[in-house]
Amino acid sequence: MTSDAHGSRAGWLHRQIEDVGVAVVAAGRAALALWLVTIGTWAGIVRWLSRRRVHGRPHGEIVRQMHAIGNRSLVFILVTLGFLGMVMTYEACLQLSRVTGDYSQFGSQFLRLVISDFGPTLTGLMLATRVGAGIAAEIGSMKVTEQIDALRMSGVLPIDYLIVPRFLASLVMTLALTVFGSVVMYTAGGLTAAYSFGVNPALFFDPSSIRGRHIVLLVVKAVAFGAAIPVVAGFCGLRARGSSEGVGWATTAAVIGGSLAVIILDFAISAIGLVVTGGEP
Amino acid sequence: MTAFIEYKGVTKAFAGTPVLRGMNLAIDRGEVMFIIGTSGVGKSVTIKHLIGLLRIDRGEIWFDGQRVDQLAERALAPLRKRIGMVFQGSTLFDAMTLAENVALPLRKHQRMAWPAALDDARRRLARVYMAEHADRYPAELSDGMRKRAAIARTLALDPEVVLFDEPTTGLDPVSARRIDRLIRELSATLGVTAVVVSHDLTSTFAIADRVAFLYQGVVHAVATPAELRASADPIVQQFIAGKSSGPMETPGF
Repeated sequence: MTSDAHGSRAGWLHRQIEDVGVAVVAAGRAALALWLVTIGTWAGIVRWLSRRRVHGRPHGEIVRQMHAIGNRSLVFILVTLGFLGMVMTYEACLQLSRVTGDYSQFGSQFLRLVISDFGPTLTGLMLATRVGAGIAAEIGSMKVTEQIDALRMSGVLPIDYLIVPRFLASLVMTLALTVFGSVVMYTAGGLTAAYSFGVNPALFFDPSSIRGRHIVLLVVKAVAFGAAIPVVAGFCGLRARGSSEGVGWATTAAVIGGSLAVIILDFAISAIGLVVTGGEP
Repeated sequence: MTAFIEYKGVTKAFAGTPVLRGMNLAIDRGEVMFIIGTSGVGKSVTIKHLIGLLRIDRGEIWFDGQRVDQLAERALAPLRKRIGMVFQGSTLFDAMTLAENVALPLRKHQRMAWPAALDDARRRLARVYMAEHADRYPAELSDGMRKRAAIARTLALDPEVVLFDEPTTGLDPVSARRIDRLIRELSATLGVTAVVVSHDLTSTFAIADRVAFLYQGVVHAVATPAELRASADPIVQQFIAGKSSGPMETPGF
């Protein structure tokens, strides 16, 4: 091997290591910035609750956001969770019919899964796309058109003005939509089982396996997803740079980041739930 | 006498690309100072540093005897009451009516109640001939109307300094000259210091007290409009004449 070839290989390796280093530093900075936005959001809520700080938001902003996040997602959640409930039930019943043909436990076990996992997680994933993209696009376009700078010049903290109302609205509406989505999913599953496999509805709609911990899991997950989605989306929007391309980047990043947050939080909360209950499903 | 606003050796780079390279500039109280130069030379960046919307890499910025480049976001609030900014796009808040837009800084900085702030906002909109549009949303208005409302919002706090970022860009000639007259009146009647970033040489030669010509990250020349016209500097002459060929090095062209 010539010394030139050796040198170019060393140079290539050096560049690879440098690229990895730059990416790690950038990821670290982004994580720190996300953490600061999270802390800033909580601080904004405390300011809003404790001192009744003059926030400058137009009247009814939280209600408007609840409508945008909640009411406008209703049909989307109805359709997606409904179809997912039908497909899952159909597939599961098909497998059961081939193995045992015994559907007696299926309804109650499906209900447990919907409440403790499928309902909140699938609703969270759907909202991470619809709500997350909307928030990131709106805040991102405000950023690239200097409206965020104008807010700062008006004495307004952008997090208090933009993220806090969306955060509070999302907490309430994600929980409400999770309950709605779970009911839709379970009902769609029950109807599919009845019509396609002749499962007795009285046998399917059986809540006997539900415990308090399953309801707690649903509430904790819905609240965690409801908190994470607007913070991640708002953070991505605030980092938008340049022009419309920057808004596109922010929107994509918000959908990916929000979906990842939902999946990671789902895993973490489920794991903690298992530890707390001593391994009880 | 120390200057009202002073930039000392200011440097700023974006993603490793230097924009300002040790820029110095002194602006006196009450004057109309124009900052001119080619696109991307750092004119808007210069004025955004004064109010903490961007942070400098090195150097110092002083305002009225106080160093301002190191102030935290909260400590910048009193400064932003004294220095207003009219942004390039009017940057009115889309979700608010014009009256609510103008009322927002009154509510935040002056701690006024909403009804009082809205009343005051309507009076201020009337002064820029926008009273009948007070309850309309920015999207329903023309560029010139939005610009006037944005100026009303900036002037709501009676600032001592107003920074204008390309105030006449995208406006028809009549609206542009009205904005020029407004800037001149602010300085003449209220003693407001105006710092205007502009490409518009008609405005520059009509209303500037002095002009700072930014080139290659530093202030290449500071002069009155008459001195600038008479300058023998080939770079200044190329810019004023708008010639595509000459001694100016413009990256990307």
